[in-house]
Amino acid sequence: MEISLAAEPLFHIGTFTVTNTLIMSLILSCVIIVASFILKKKLKLIPKGFQNIIEYIMEAFLNLVDSVTHNRKQSEIFFPIVMTIFIFVILSNWIEIIPGLGTIGINETHEGKTILVPFIRSASADLNVTLAIALISVFFVQFLGIATIGISKYAGKFFVSPLRKPYLVGTFVGLLEIISEFAKIISFSFRLFGNIFAGEVLLIVMLNLVPYFVPLPFLFLEIFVGFVQALVFAMLTLVFLKMATVEAAH
Amino acid sequence: MELLNNLGINGKLLLAQIVNFLVLLFILKKFAYGPVLKMLNDRTKKIEKGLKDSEEARKKLEEITEKEKEVLKKAREEAQVIIKNAEDQAKANAVSIVLEGRDQGEKLIINAKKQIEQEKNKMMVEIKSEVAELVARATEKIIGEKLDSGKDRELIEKVIR
Repeated sequence: MEISLAAEPLFHIGTFTVTNTLIMSLILSCVIIVASFILKKKLKLIPKGFQNIIEYIMEAFLNLVDSVTHNRKQSEIFFPIVMTIFIFVILSNWIEIIPGLGTIGINETHEGKTILVPFIRSASADLNVTLAIALISVFFVQFLGIATIGISKYAGKFFVSPLRKPYLVGTFVGLLEIISEFAKIISFSFRLFGNIFAGEVLLIVMLNLVPYFVPLPFLFLEIFVGFVQALVFAMLTLVFLKMATVEAAH
Repeated sequence: MELLNNLGINGKLLLAQIVNFLVLLFILKKFAYGPVLKMLNDRTKKIEKGLKDSEEARKKLEEITEKEKEVLKKAREEAQVIIKNAEDQAKANAVSIVLEGRDQGEKLIINAKKQIEQEKNKMMVEIKSEVAELVARATEKIIGEKLDSGKDRELIEKVIR
């Protein structure tokens, strides 16, 4: 049993390393895209089955976004980002509950040892994926912040003149704000990565120790954790978006 | 860089994931969120419109029912008035007809009486003259002599009177 912090490489295309998480996230994206095509094709005014579920989820999320923004127009701008993050993260979290985790793979000889390289690994258990989503999330926060309240006002949140009212305190707070923007990226990516990676390790260990019945509660726990982490990621993005688009109250 | 390498962060993979996610975001926005949200909006509007329409129809129906009632009431009242008028007229007509009838009857009776009287008088005169003649003739036969024509008549008339 070999557990690696980094995603395991499966093969190489030129200098590009293709890892199992990359394959997983590509498959996941394809599934989501195909599902969305089917949805668009079958979209009817009177909903049925699949469309009902999707509409229910989307409406619930839209209401959630509305409850934060209190503004339908802004909600419609935030909604795609938040919803996509939620869908992608929750599904990539749930990859780990697919049977075959840590067992199906190819044997590779590495430095004289035979290592099993698994095919299935949660996309979220790879820092590249979580960091990518965190970067996109923070990028949209900055971008929409600037687009909504203007670059000068937005920059005014971070660069405060030491000669103005709270004087040096204001400047210091502005500096902290800059650091917190970078901290957002790190906390986003490591929170999700840590949770899902830990869950996956837990599941692999449990499956190896007691293969029958005992891992079941942990599987349910991982379903729950996957949902919570996706919700946290999406909600935090939403809140950061809202905060960035509100003018600083000095 | 060593740390990033240990954590498995790889610039190319990171870029691939970013691109992957952005493509996903774009496609979902285009094919899922847009149409679904539009559909939701459309449905909300349609339902609202339907409810409003039904409310309007209900109101209109109520109005019409009310109007109908009013019209019926008015028609009934009018009919009542017409019937009453007709009755009054008929009563008045009846009285006048009866009166006229009576008048005419009376007139007829009076006329008849007059005629009878005349007839009677005429007959009387005729009878008188005839009787006088008869008496004169009888007297003549009895007496056997003829009285003076003028005296005779005078006498007879005095007798029969």
